[in-house]
Amino acid sequence: MVTILRWIVFAIAAFAVNFPVIVTLVTSFKSAREVSTNPGLFIQAPTLENYAAVLQVSDRLNIFLYLANSLAAAAIGAGIAVLLALPTAYAMVRGGLGARTLLPLIVNLRAVPLVIFAIPIYMMFQWVGLLDTRIGLGLVLAIVNVPLALVILVNAIAEVPVDLDEAALIDGASRTGILLRVIAPVCRPAIATSLIFGFITAWNEFLFGLMLTTSKALPVTVGASFFFAASGGGVQWGVAAAVMIVGALPPVILGLVMYRQISRSMMAGAVKG
Amino acid sequence: MQIAERTEWNLLATPLVAFLLLCLGFPAVVNLVYSVSDISFATLRSPTLSGFGNFAAVLSDGAFWRANWFSLRFGLLTAALECALGLFLAIFLAPLFKERSWPLAILMLPLMVAPALVGLMYRLVLHEFAGPVPHYLWQWFGNSPAFLGPNSAFWTLIVVETLQWTPFAFLLFHMAYHAIPDEVREAASIDGANAWQRLFRVELPLMLPTIAVALLIRFIDGFRVFDNVYVLTGSGAGGSTASLSIYIYEAFFKQGAIGKAVAASVLLFLASFAILYGLNMLARRKKK
Repeated sequence: MVTILRWIVFAIAAFAVNFPVIVTLVTSFKSAREVSTNPGLFIQAPTLENYAAVLQVSDRLNIFLYLANSLAAAAIGAGIAVLLALPTAYAMVRGGLGARTLLPLIVNLRAVPLVIFAIPIYMMFQWVGLLDTRIGLGLVLAIVNVPLALVILVNAIAEVPVDLDEAALIDGASRTGILLRVIAPVCRPAIATSLIFGFITAWNEFLFGLMLTTSKALPVTVGASFFFAASGGGVQWGVAAAVMIVGALPPVILGLVMYRQISRSMMAGAVKG
Repeated sequence: MQIAERTEWNLLATPLVAFLLLCLGFPAVVNLVYSVSDISFATLRSPTLSGFGNFAAVLSDGAFWRANWFSLRFGLLTAALECALGLFLAIFLAPLFKERSWPLAILMLPLMVAPALVGLMYRLVLHEFAGPVPHYLWQWFGNSPAFLGPNSAFWTLIVVETLQWTPFAFLLFHMAYHAIPDEVREAASIDGANAWQRLFRVELPLMLPTIAVALLIRFIDGFRVFDNVYVLTGSGAGGSTASLSIYIYEAFFKQGAIGKAVAASVLLFLASFAILYGLNMLARRKKK
């Protein structure tokens, strides 16, 4: 009896938290006419015309460009964060570096509203010509990703037995050599998790995309909002819905494949924070 | 030998430190200098010091205090709602996740969708002609409120934020709940505790640190909210839904009031630094 009640509660919760996604998915399969005559949750005549329209490139709206921009910026943002965090995490765990100030300082960055830095970063980017570039956006997203990447990697390296380091030291390896040949291979799962987590976070970022890009480097989160104001005669809801589904799909797929690792690293991040 | 080793450790950490100094340290300095300068887009590279006029302008701006008040209420309410709902779900649904984990994935799905996109999705969900919510409300009750109008916008945004981030609180509580060793539960049962007593005397106290952390994280995220509010109402509804992040963004990009935007950033920075410093001190004292 109670089990049935639990399943009912689960179904309600699952429906409620996923409601906007469900509605958008349903709408993306409705024809323009059906959206206006039947706004409900059931489709009368499913169609793929909205997705066909999305994939049609026009001067103002180019979904392929937005997707490519998001992909590039998110990959740069995740990659640089891990590249910078891995040696630092190693120095922190084994060298006892910055345990008192540097680590807490960086970890607390997650709690600082990043809008604070947005304006000077905008000015800096203007000076050095990084505005509206994928690399510029990627660099900023790396800042966003560094704290959690560092926490995940510190936790992972702390679990590697010191014997491995010492054996390599006796063989005459340098610390950098140990990092590359011993630590990095052993910590491959943690590195993958922080890469994927960083990629999802960066893909979903909006504020910096809005501020730092205008046309060439627009990410899909910002580009999607253009579909809402694109046509003269009001919003084409079916097309807009299809855009949102396409834009949301990459992180959702990654997230569903990796949800076990991701929930664990969320926990790690929360406990350390 | 020791000095060489020290140098090697420092070298390993240098790239990250340099990167952060360049991307955050330098901007922080720019913030501080510009906040006490007379600055406009025309004089961007040659600020002239002007004292604390920018701070006076921000502190006497009614919109700044309204934005603070919005962020504070928004952060507190959403954090409380998300944690309450998340805690209930984590404990009540716990038996469902014992042998299977796919239901977890379904509840986690909203965490993977960009908040900006979720905000845009609600534009569709709540649209008076194309949205299913007004559609069904009209059909069943013959009436539907203006969800994003001045009177309901705040509560609509609260619901939007809560529904997307309750899964985050749920997830933390789910893991904390399952981390409680079975022996602890058995021991409580042997001592004659019933299910309720076990929950309130044993399980919840053990989960207390996680609850505190979840409340804090969700409050901070709610306080600095930007994406979903911006795409749903902008500062809209008569400025009633401008969070502090939106206030700073609009002061800079819409009004070109750089001095004001930067001064507000510095104030926000000082406030978050003070709060985080206080919390760290508190946590350190507890450990002792």
